[in-house]
Amino acid sequence: MALLDIRDLNVSFTSYGQRTHVLRDVSLKVGEGQRVALIGETGSGKSVTSKTVLNTLPGNASVESGQVFWRGTDLLTRPDREREKLKGIEMSVVMQDPLSSFNPVFTIGHHLDSVLYWADRRAGRRRGRAERTAHIRQVLRKVQLADPDRVIAAWPAQLSGGMRQRVLIALALMNRPAMLIADEPGTALDVTTQDEILRLINDLVTEEGLSLLMITHNLGVVRMTADYVYVMRKGVIVEHGPLKQIFEAPQTDYCRELIGAIPPLYGAAVKDQPLSGEPPLVKLENVSKRFTRRHLLRRDETVDAVRNVSLEVPRGEIFGIAGESGSGKTTLARMVMGMLGATEGEIVIDGVRLTDHAEGRIDRRMAQIVYQNPGTSLNPKRTVAQTLDVPLHFAGLDKAARARRTDELLERVDLPRHFASRYPHELSGGQKQRIAIARALAADPKLIVLDEPTSALDVSVQKRVITLLEELRSDLGLTYLFISHDLSLMRNFCSHIAVMLRGEVVEQGTPAEVFADPRHPYTRALIAAVPVITDAEDAAKPVVTEAEKKRFLVSSAA
Amino acid sequence: MPSPDDTMRAVEEETPVILSARRMAWMRFRSNPAALIGGFMVISVILAAIFAPLIAPYPEAAGNTIDFANRHAAPSAENFAGTDKVGRDIFSRVIFGFRVSLLLVIGVLGIAVPVGAALGLAAGYFGGRTELLITGFTNVMLAIPPLVIALAVGSILTPTLVNAMIAIALLWWTWHARLVYRVAKSVAAEDFVEAARLAGASHWHVLTREILPNCIAVISVKTTLDAAFVILFGATLSFLGLGVRPPTPDLGSMVADGRQFLPEMWWGVFFPALGIFYATLGFNLLGDGLRDMFDVEV
Repeated sequence: MALLDIRDLNVSFTSYGQRTHVLRDVSLKVGEGQRVALIGETGSGKSVTSKTVLNTLPGNASVESGQVFWRGTDLLTRPDREREKLKGIEMSVVMQDPLSSFNPVFTIGHHLDSVLYWADRRAGRRRGRAERTAHIRQVLRKVQLADPDRVIAAWPAQLSGGMRQRVLIALALMNRPAMLIADEPGTALDVTTQDEILRLINDLVTEEGLSLLMITHNLGVVRMTADYVYVMRKGVIVEHGPLKQIFEAPQTDYCRELIGAIPPLYGAAVKDQPLSGEPPLVKLENVSKRFTRRHLLRRDETVDAVRNVSLEVPRGEIFGIAGESGSGKTTLARMVMGMLGATEGEIVIDGVRLTDHAEGRIDRRMAQIVYQNPGTSLNPKRTVAQTLDVPLHFAGLDKAARARRTDELLERVDLPRHFASRYPHELSGGQKQRIAIARALAADPKLIVLDEPTSALDVSVQKRVITLLEELRSDLGLTYLFISHDLSLMRNFCSHIAVMLRGEVVEQGTPAEVFADPRHPYTRALIAAVPVITDAEDAAKPVVTEAEKKRFLVSSAA
Repeated sequence: MPSPDDTMRAVEEETPVILSARRMAWMRFRSNPAALIGGFMVISVILAAIFAPLIAPYPEAAGNTIDFANRHAAPSAENFAGTDKVGRDIFSRVIFGFRVSLLLVIGVLGIAVPVGAALGLAAGYFGGRTELLITGFTNVMLAIPPLVIALAVGSILTPTLVNAMIAIALLWWTWHARLVYRVAKSVAAEDFVEAARLAGASHWHVLTREILPNCIAVISVKTTLDAAFVILFGATLSFLGLGVRPPTPDLGSMVADGRQFLPEMWWGVFFPALGIFYATLGFNLLGDGLRDMFDVEV
């Protein structure tokens, strides 16, 4: 008998009189000790499935039909009180966002203790505070947190993202559940940290004999953590089967497309971008940026965000800057745009020093930027046409010319003309990003800074946006400065790559060189942590020793 | 150039099926009984004020008429809110009293809201010294007790409706400045503001086209809630003798007049007070409804 057995589940949401069917005849099984992944893109219904199991659906959702069997009993027919008892004891969930899962005014120890206290009450057990603390220490050690006492005393904000994620896993494990439901664990973290977290979950599943339901959008994560895979799309399970079968012989077009959309890290499918061989458009010479926070009573604090960086971005190429959060890559991009002044060094763009421009600002016809989050880079109160109108208006075009150019721009980014009258909330993430690209193009720039333009998008959408960017580059002769943490994407999209660590460029070259023979241990660690989808790619990854990892990665265990 | 195929694919990308934002907001408003009642009350006050001469049973009561024979008449079929010390119909005077209250609201908020919003926008967007100057000045103004400055203005200048307006408006902008400043500051930090600047947009464009539209919801909710307070504050001033001059009917001064004849002639205070209560409650309910509708914090 399967531990969890969902049969023909139908769930719908009602909002303002409109009913949306979000799950259609979903059937899914998780056996004892089995590792199952539920994979799907944004809005596919994967989180709704887990919420139905956990009985945490919002009030406007209703289960239309179907059964959810847990050890043979249909949970949907049981009262809420009884289902409540299963939570945290029989099944536990690891949430996606490690910061918002904690109340900032309580210490970590308080969070863990109160969970334990209530679980004891429900189970009719009595334990003293000291006993509970001893148990907490033991669980924290299980999630490989080296200093449990420090973690217990810490406030949520004092822990790193990786440590918070570990504490969340500890929370889930507190009462030895039979099944762990992991909803996008580590997605908000850096690759290297995510890698550690996934390994930890894997270890725990084997050691504790847990069943795992892994909910994710990342196929690389699935390959690491699951044996059996369900693929979901628009509320329907489109395909399921053992991992090997799904990855190597997918049956449906959707699965093939999904797998095909993932940029390969190694192998024959990897694309090498040609070098332009032209002189540099952007030149950075020993550029540093120091941020100073002034204090009235204490000494001023300084942070070296960028240290002594020298780069040359050849005209017509895609120059990638790779690095994890806090590595200084965005600061670097903002300096190139003239939005921040360099503390030391010189930035020369198209032969002119940035400091020689009026107000130190770059000419808008020289460089434009596409932001990471299309949700905040478009004004929610302005239509697409109004947004695109701004650069055209200030370039001095008359009304008729502006309307013509708006149509042209929409066509350039593959959107139909009638999208001009839409508001941002009427667009999908990919469409918003296309509009942001169109806005950047409107000023006719030579250089476009792409600040993680696809990190908020699904892989299949990412692939189309990347294809569009490639087309635009060759059609319009653009140069890109591409900032990202996604190394497999950069391997295929960039013609040059520079790896940043704590404000310094530790390695640069063509992606082919860097990936074939990474010199710096940090680069090796970064590449090794990328979740890939084939064994061949895994085998081709560089080897990193534990000592090197310790030196260059911020450990989430300490 | 993209092929038609590319276009189709880009469109297919899960274009969200959504209700327009406006319709959603309207549905939220419609499903809120308190808001609907508030809206009805406000509209009735406005209509009563506009059509006062047609609605009031004794329109001449708004003027200088005297009917000593009928003074201090208790509520009856002829004067169902009774009459005052010179025999004027109180119900008619309350209807006309709404005119003064609404004029005060329009006058005060007509000055205070644009001034406050402009200063708040400038402080939130420009930051630095501008921010320090404006927020500093606002805080100083907020430290002055409103009644004290209103009394001061009232005693320096002659007590008229316009002077009362000036006195109130002098202080009222501070609240709007603070509120808009807070919203503008967070909007100004969004990427789209920077993107507009990089596209060559002027400060004026950014302020009026990018940031202001994102503040409108907050401003309109605050303004509606404020209308209630202005009515109350205006009534307080005229109760103290700083409002309009007799014989113009004004709710605050009617209460003050009726006070002398309490408790026997209770209707002289009760009905004007009820008028104040009705208008204030209406604006408050409507404001609360708008706040839920726009989903903003004020």
